[in-house]
Amino acid sequence: MFLINYFSSLNPLAFTNALPGNIAQGLIWGIMALGVYITFRLLDFADLTVDGSFATGGAVTVMMTVKGYNIWVALLCACIAGLLAGLCTGLLHTKLGIPPILAGILTQIALYSINLNIMDRHANQALSVDKYSLILSSRNLTSAIVIGLLFAAVLIIVLYWYFGTEQGSAIRATGCNPAMSRAQGINIDNMKLIGLSISNAIVALSGGLLAQYSGFADVNMGRGGIVIGLAAVIIGEVLGDAILGKRMDFKGRLIFVVIGGIIYYIVIGIVLWLKMPSDDLKLFTAIIVAIFLAVPYLKGKSKSSFAKAGKRAAAMLAGRSATAYGDVDAKNKEEK
Amino acid sequence: MKKATKFASVVLAAALTLSLAGCGSSDAGTNSTQSSGNTSGKTYTIGICQLVQHEALDAATQGFKDALTDKLGDNVKFDEQNAAGDASTCSTICTTFATNNYDLILGNATAALQAATAATDTIPVLGTSITDYATALDVSDWTGTTGKNISGTTDLAPLDQQAKCIAELFPDAKNVGILYCSSEPNSIYQSTTITKYLKDEGYTVKEYTFSDSNDVASVTQSACDNSDVIYIPTDNTAASCTEAINNVASPAKVPIFAGEEGIAKGCGVATLSISYYDLGYTTGEMAYDILVNGKDISTMEVQSAPKFTKEYIADRADALGITIPDGYEELKAD
Repeated sequence: MFLINYFSSLNPLAFTNALPGNIAQGLIWGIMALGVYITFRLLDFADLTVDGSFATGGAVTVMMTVKGYNIWVALLCACIAGLLAGLCTGLLHTKLGIPPILAGILTQIALYSINLNIMDRHANQALSVDKYSLILSSRNLTSAIVIGLLFAAVLIIVLYWYFGTEQGSAIRATGCNPAMSRAQGINIDNMKLIGLSISNAIVALSGGLLAQYSGFADVNMGRGGIVIGLAAVIIGEVLGDAILGKRMDFKGRLIFVVIGGIIYYIVIGIVLWLKMPSDDLKLFTAIIVAIFLAVPYLKGKSKSSFAKAGKRAAAMLAGRSATAYGDVDAKNKEEK
Repeated sequence: MKKATKFASVVLAAALTLSLAGCGSSDAGTNSTQSSGNTSGKTYTIGICQLVQHEALDAATQGFKDALTDKLGDNVKFDEQNAAGDASTCSTICTTFATNNYDLILGNATAALQAATAATDTIPVLGTSITDYATALDVSDWTGTTGKNISGTTDLAPLDQQAKCIAELFPDAKNVGILYCSSEPNSIYQSTTITKYLKDEGYTVKEYTFSDSNDVASVTQSACDNSDVIYIPTDNTAASCTEAINNVASPAKVPIFAGEEGIAKGCGVATLSISYYDLGYTTGEMAYDILVNGKDISTMEVQSAPKFTKEYIADRADALGITIPDGYEELKAD
């Protein structure tokens, strides 16, 4: 009875109405996830700078627009600021030998103060769509979605091209196997610097877009951003593997990372729509991400030949004498 | 892989059937009441977006709801959402309110108001617990009204009177330290404004800012070392860690004058305070005027709290040997 009451209290129209907003915001975070994908997957570098550089992107975009610069110039400068933040993390790691996670955290903490200074010591700066001509705003969701799609498409094309060039391939090689790459004559330190810079420039771009979308920049706007970025990357990968299977290539991965961002925000929309207590929103988020992280691992585990062999051996031991060991070994070899 | 796709398709199918089933029943109901048109029986749907769970903000939301329920009874429905401190979730919540075409949106705290104003320029948006509308909305020539679909209430206690209270309570003090969180837009505004008033009273003023609850203790320590009195504005982070501040300030024997009741209860000696419940209630009355009496929101002035009270905490005042002048009400500490 309680369940019936609960479900009849939900308005399905409210959910479909909320979809465009969720998609637009998901697209912006999907662009941010492209940046996270570069460090997390291609470079194999868990970069926590993004929580800071996302807010930096928003802060630079808003402050420059308010000071009268063209919005495109502001967005470009935001990218450059993000690039410098990434470079800073890279230098801390490669030149000073600080481990990746720590280097990222250091830059992120430093960026809190830097962002406050960028925003003239204001923790929050408004950017009204009525006063400035912005690229996108939550006022007009259709155009926000179209523009978000355009940004994502252009970025995916550029990234796809770039990571096919010699330098791009060298960055990917560095992430795959640093020792081998160094042996091949690749300067892996430089590759890490470039990768981190590009990644954080994209993150800052997305921060600039979100600040316009929501009409303000806030020093806290990037807090937890890395979780959303990682969630988008992983949701996208799991989904892409499920749909495309073996045909999932680099192009597909980039596209699915953005789709992952959209799905993440649709899930948030569902959680809000289900009237779940929003106090627990972060907990739901963590659970969703944990599920998507665990699925590929558990699936891989259940498929592995060792697990199968183990099961078979157990069955044999139960049925037959200890001489079966030899059989299992033989079968194991066949499978390999 | 198959399992995953199957699982996904089952979930999607379930969601679809649910939504279809729902279309038949509940939704038809709300639509008919909305389209009935006559003002007497009309049901209003109001979206409430609150930035973070916090005593003062909760009280404002409660006051707002009580005001409207008192006047409209069952004819008002609330969609109350809390962004759990995440400014970007405010956008998600407010665009949903806007696309659902609610009758009115309440933005409780700065980021919530900003997200609501970004999401719509037609639905009336009321703000509450906002200290300075000019900063929050980036209006350079502030006149008290916005001329747009925005109005609301401000939690700004009269800072000039607060400075006077400090002067009357601590006539012998020289240095006043202002303690607040650097990530809060409202606090810096109050700090700059009251600095001017305090200087007029002859004090030397210095700001001490912490970035989050982790460095509260050490920043408070440095404030205590260098000040005779500490002033804390209506700062949400400070309000949430009064215990940490008290643990440093009370052994150092430095009295704290707070901008609001919650902080005063936790670590202050005295305050000139507003009640957030009353503030929310006033906002609710404004909402009623807009929805039922057809008032034009763009010409409605931003209102302040209906009354201010001078309050003090007896235990702490005794411990610090401060004589409380007449006109102060006693407040029980937490």
